[in-house]
Amino acid sequence: MTRLEIQSISRRFGAVQALDGVSFTLNAGEMHALMGENGAGKSTLIRILAGVDRPDSGSLLMDGKPLGLGQTSATQQAGLRFIHQELHPVRGLSVAENMFLDHPYPTRFGLVNWREVHSKAAQALARLGLGHIAPKRPVSDLGAGDQMLVRICGTLIKDERQIDPWLYVMDEPTAALTGEESERLFTVINTLTEQGVGVLYVSHRMPEVLRLSQRVTVLRDGQHIETVPRADTDQDRIIHAMTGRDLSGLFPARTGVLPSSGRPALRVSSLSAGRLKAVSFDVQPGEILGLGGLTGSGRGSLLRALMGDLHRDAGEVLLGAQPLATKPAEAWAQGLAYIPRERRAEGLMLDRSITENVALPHLTPFARGRYFLDPQRQTKIADAEGERVRLKHADLQQPTRQLSGGNQQKVMFARALAGNPSVLLLDEPTRGVDIGARFDLYRIIRALSDAGKAIVMTSSDLPELIGLSDRIAILQEGQMVDIVSSEGMTEAALLSRFYQEQKAA
Amino acid sequence: MTGTIRRFSGIIGMLAVVAFFAISLPDTFLTARNLLNISQQISMLAVVAATMTVVMVMGDFDLSVGAMASLAGVVAAMLFVAGWSIPAALSVALGVGLVGGLFNGLVVSLIGILPFVATLATLTVFSGLAFLISDGRTIFGRDIPEAFGDFARNGPVIGSVDDRLLVFPNLTLVALAVIFIIWVVLEHTSYGRRLYALGGNREASRLAGLPVTSLRLTAFAFTGVGAALAGLMYASRVASANPTQGDGLMLTAIAAVFLGMTITRDGQPRVLATVAGVAILGILDNGLTQLRVDSYVREILVGAIILIAVGFSALSRRNLLRS
Repeated sequence: MTRLEIQSISRRFGAVQALDGVSFTLNAGEMHALMGENGAGKSTLIRILAGVDRPDSGSLLMDGKPLGLGQTSATQQAGLRFIHQELHPVRGLSVAENMFLDHPYPTRFGLVNWREVHSKAAQALARLGLGHIAPKRPVSDLGAGDQMLVRICGTLIKDERQIDPWLYVMDEPTAALTGEESERLFTVINTLTEQGVGVLYVSHRMPEVLRLSQRVTVLRDGQHIETVPRADTDQDRIIHAMTGRDLSGLFPARTGVLPSSGRPALRVSSLSAGRLKAVSFDVQPGEILGLGGLTGSGRGSLLRALMGDLHRDAGEVLLGAQPLATKPAEAWAQGLAYIPRERRAEGLMLDRSITENVALPHLTPFARGRYFLDPQRQTKIADAEGERVRLKHADLQQPTRQLSGGNQQKVMFARALAGNPSVLLLDEPTRGVDIGARFDLYRIIRALSDAGKAIVMTSSDLPELIGLSDRIAILQEGQMVDIVSSEGMTEAALLSRFYQEQKAA
Repeated sequence: MTGTIRRFSGIIGMLAVVAFFAISLPDTFLTARNLLNISQQISMLAVVAATMTVVMVMGDFDLSVGAMASLAGVVAAMLFVAGWSIPAALSVALGVGLVGGLFNGLVVSLIGILPFVATLATLTVFSGLAFLISDGRTIFGRDIPEAFGDFARNGPVIGSVDDRLLVFPNLTLVALAVIFIIWVVLEHTSYGRRLYALGGNREASRLAGLPVTSLRLTAFAFTGVGAALAGLMYASRVASANPTQGDGLMLTAIAAVFLGMTITRDGQPRVLATVAGVAILGILDNGLTQLRVDSYVREILVGAIILIAVGFSALSRRNLLRS
């Protein structure tokens, strides 16, 4: 049943036509995917739906009646709710208090009626099958996924004024979630759609979209390309619609032959650190080793232990012939480079320029006489590395905050490459990156491996892990249980390995 | 674009203040003698504010500078009383600043106490020490060597006006030297850029391999030594020392850094911008005094001007983010 009609919405920002006469409809009880590269106009459309921004022309019809444009209250009244990717729960507060952030507390004799707060919160949680989250728990105890779910539940709490939401707009809800957390979100989405609630879902993760959605809308350069039932489309068609070009194969093939013997670029022997127990493996120059496993298996910890950010309790790590340093500063100097998982929190200085971000770990090697800065050299290197990773930017002095997720990640790659490392550690390198930039990153990773760099990477995206890696090391609860060749590996087979031997043990 | 407007309105505001005084006080304000006088009046604040900039670029700050200035002055004076030579006494006093600053850095970086709490505590400690050493008295008169007091009064002669020699104050020279050193450290060494990186994103800096702990620790040494130096400059100017004479420097120094941040391109603390902030505070003080504005009213006016400048900057920054 059509409830919301989006009618020839246009919006222009300066010289950029962000949206150009976009029309499609949203139905109750439907999972509707909105796809497009960064800059395609998805965010602008969402802002207009939310009433944060006004279109230059066009209209929104809710049940046939025009909806007030540019008013957040109007869309709230119309039953639209928005779940953004960057969730900011209030850390010091409980689950229930976070759920009540945008509602008045129920009161009795003028005081907060905590019993009712908790019971209403519990009801809302139960309605989405989240009975395992206790309303009184501090929200900071929860994982990112549960925090997101708490936020969704919060919108289900009703007071006298509010009407039931019928449409959730979710902007990359899984960007910050692990595999299992995403699964829990999908269950919640299913529960919602069964209850007649619609979902407009923005995601860069193709498998999710293909699996969950009933209709798919694709935008490109502000234009509406198509809205089709999921049954009538597939990955190739969606990618073609998004990019306007055909992409033969997602993962660029290796061009050279992998050296099978000789000194490994990285040799790890019985490494124990944090939750890791006696992990051993070798990586040859030019090899890409994928780290696979469930959340909590220790993939990220392994990279952090190698980088020296996590204290190594036992074991030996050799970088080429040298023992690897135990501090990040020395590890960088020895030729190790690390791209952390949380690009914004752990990687970038968002208000600083591209040049400053690229140069950050390399200030001493780039300096004149060790101590004095050489700004020209920094700019030259940032420029060259930016070119190499196909960074799209206005100028190198631009704050990285202004860049898209994909380009921010390219800045991180430029930083890693500027030190000419022999081994690169990549933690979820394509997280929250749109499909176009993703191909660029794949090409960069492949080119690095062809140039003889050893790469150790984690990825929650199984096709990516299989497509890029030469071998995949499988971790379970801090132990490396197997190293398998990615040749001929399927997602299902790999996933079953993640679980398999855990049961046997 | 908006950034440019924000910066220029800050600079225009400062020029307007200067113009206002120049017109109101046509005979006395824009004279070489008065400007040199202002430069001497603000020299101690300039030293403290410049070194304060070093910790503020990391997103930290140091509340103990005023107490440290008082302590250093008292230490030098007590050593004079004990018959020490000027160089020896000054070295020890500066050493006290270095040790105090490093102690601040240690508490903040190694133990991990918030700078606000840590330096508030050391403020009290330094202040208590100053009272303890001096027994709460002002040390002046014959106890202070003449050469020490003369230093602040003298300087290279650069000309004469109306038959009176025009002297470029020594204290101004000291301040200029400190500003130059801090400028080189912050803008032209990798050490300085790393401090800015810490202010940009501490976690990212750590993972990119910066020695975060030692950077923070050493940066506090700058404020310690800067504060001690300012305390000595003050003691030289008044040829005496008492355990509270530097206390007023702390808030004004922080205000100067914030004022400076309103005119930098990216809203970051920069030492030359800080100096502009110091200058405007000094000019306000000097001009209002000459206009015989009551000193209490003067404080209200200066506070209001700081609020307006920083508030205006914050507003235009918000517009910048929105667009």
